Amino acid sequence: MRLLLEPGDARDLDALAAAGEAARRCGLDGVLLGRTPLVSAPLVAAAALAARVASIRIAAEVEVGEAHPIEVAEEAAVVDVASGGRLILVATPAPGREDRFGEALDLMRTALSPAPFRFEGPTWRVPANLPANEHNLERLARLTPSPVQPRLELWGAGAGREAALARGLGHLAGAEDDPADLARAWDRAAAALGPAAIGAARARRERYEGDPAALVARLRAGREGFGQSWAVVAASATAAPTISRWVRPRVQTDRLPDGLEAHWDATLPR
Amino acid sequence: MSEAAFDAVGVGLWTMQSTAAAPADPTALYEWFAEDAALAERLGFRSVWSAEHRAWYDGWCPALVHAQAFAAARTERVRFGHAILLVPQHDPVRLARALATLDRLSGGRVDLGAGLGHRDAEFDMLGLRRDRRGRTMDAALDALAAVWAGEHGDEPPVQRPGPPVWVGGMAPQAIARAASRGHGLMLPQTLRPHQLRAIVDDYRSQAERQGTVGALRDVWVEADPGREARFRRRVDAHFREEAGSWWVLKGQVGFSQPEQMDRQLARIYDTEVVGSAERVAEGLNELYAAGVEFLVLRVNFDFVERAELRDQLHALAQDVVPLLEPAAAVH
Repeated sequence: MRLLLEPGDARDLDALAAAGEAARRCGLDGVLLGRTPLVSAPLVAAAALAARVASIRIAAEVEVGEAHPIEVAEEAAVVDVASGGRLILVATPAPGREDRFGEALDLMRTALSPAPFRFEGPTWRVPANLPANEHNLERLARLTPSPVQPRLELWGAGAGREAALARGLGHLAGAEDDPADLARAWDRAAAALGPAAIGAARARRERYEGDPAALVARLRAGREGFGQSWAVVAASATAAPTISRWVRPRVQTDRLPDGLEAHWDATLPR
Repeated sequence: MSEAAFDAVGVGLWTMQSTAAAPADPTALYEWFAEDAALAERLGFRSVWSAEHRAWYDGWCPALVHAQAFAAARTERVRFGHAILLVPQHDPVRLARALATLDRLSGGRVDLGAGLGHRDAEFDMLGLRRDRRGRTMDAALDALAAVWAGEHGDEPPVQRPGPPVWVGGMAPQAIARAASRGHGLMLPQTLRPHQLRAIVDDYRSQAERQGTVGALRDVWVEADPGREARFRRRVDAHFREEAGSWWVLKGQVGFSQPEQMDRQLARIYDTEVVGSAERVAEGLNELYAAGVEFLVLRVNFDFVERAELRDQLHALAQDVVPLLEPAAAVH
């Protein structure tokens, strides 16, 4: 299972970077940045974090469907290039724009592919070929720079679940989401998509209140219940050592040999 | 004099282009931007400036605030400005939040250079009409101020009421827009001193709250005539590609109007400030004497090699800035 920290209480860039560096040093997979009072544009913070911390994945949760999806895709491409291909773009429907979220995902994925493209949807047409724009127009549009990742890792979140799953994309569930409901949704996607559904990130936000055993139990239940493969743990830098030493080893395999946990308890610091 | 003069110059322009003339690793371009910003900071420069375009073959950065966040995270004091950012091509609430986030993460080190954009293909990709860009700009500037004032529930930026705004362009509407809002100006690089003086006087006669008048200038410090000629050949090829591909001359693309294009390009070459440190300082002081208070010195182009750029930044900081005589304190 892959583990990201979500340092939602960070008050400044140094605190964000400390969480990222702790994740990196502890062998965790990365950091997720959502909207906070400090960070009203998570992709901007993702770029800053990429400059401070090497190697780790940086996920940024952004609203999609209000602004032009090309603008979001351009920002994601720039952050992916600046970070050397480490971005995970987590798209959540902008409030009131749930109806065009799927189209926005399709446009972003089309634009982030490396070839010049044309896109015609109910809401967006690219290029628009508006009569008022007359000079030196293009038949096909081109978004540059191209992301470093050949296929940018893109997840849905929030109310965008069905749209994301229907496209074979990953999905970040909320901590309160019902595991049985998630299992049914993923089963439906697998049935509809067949092999195309393999490999999509099945992620969930997790609270962490200082009890690593409770987190392990929850992650094991998520894995059993809906095939959870990623966890986004709301925690700051100080929690990273415990999550890496205590939680991570216990959720990477189906089961641990009898006696190994007792051995760890006897030999590793708590 | 030198410390005060550093308040009256910034360096530019970072665009992240990987062109046919100068291909580059796209990720390295962002790393280099951060390195260059850190070098500029060490040398005493107060600000580095970037320019936006989109939908071209060369990776020109369409999301400047994100590139600047990357470099801001590796620097402590230097400011990040735009010369310019194409405001009508962005959702204003998203842009306001991006700028505010950069402002908070960097400790208040961002200047918004707000320009209109000119390429139909860019507007068209985003479903926008180019001919409405002025109205879009006015609405966007209002929206930025509203987001920064907390009307959408956001925390305020570090700088109050928001990052300083510099209005790009030289048209009467741009001057009036800057003057009526108390914003500064960022004038293009092709204006001669008497033209700058006229615009400055116009702006000062209109502005109730006085902003800073800035201007862009292409600059190259080179005392050797042979190497100066080499710079001029390369900068000609650079602007010829841009003008030939993008500029609309008599309703046609530049390459199909070679004589018209030559005349337009001549305005760029005539206003470049190239030569020895003394000659460059003299050329820049003419601009200060014309009433410009702040200059963005453009020494970075796609064709400029890493060592050349470092040499230019050193030469500007150590040989040119001490000779500068900005006329007035920056507002």
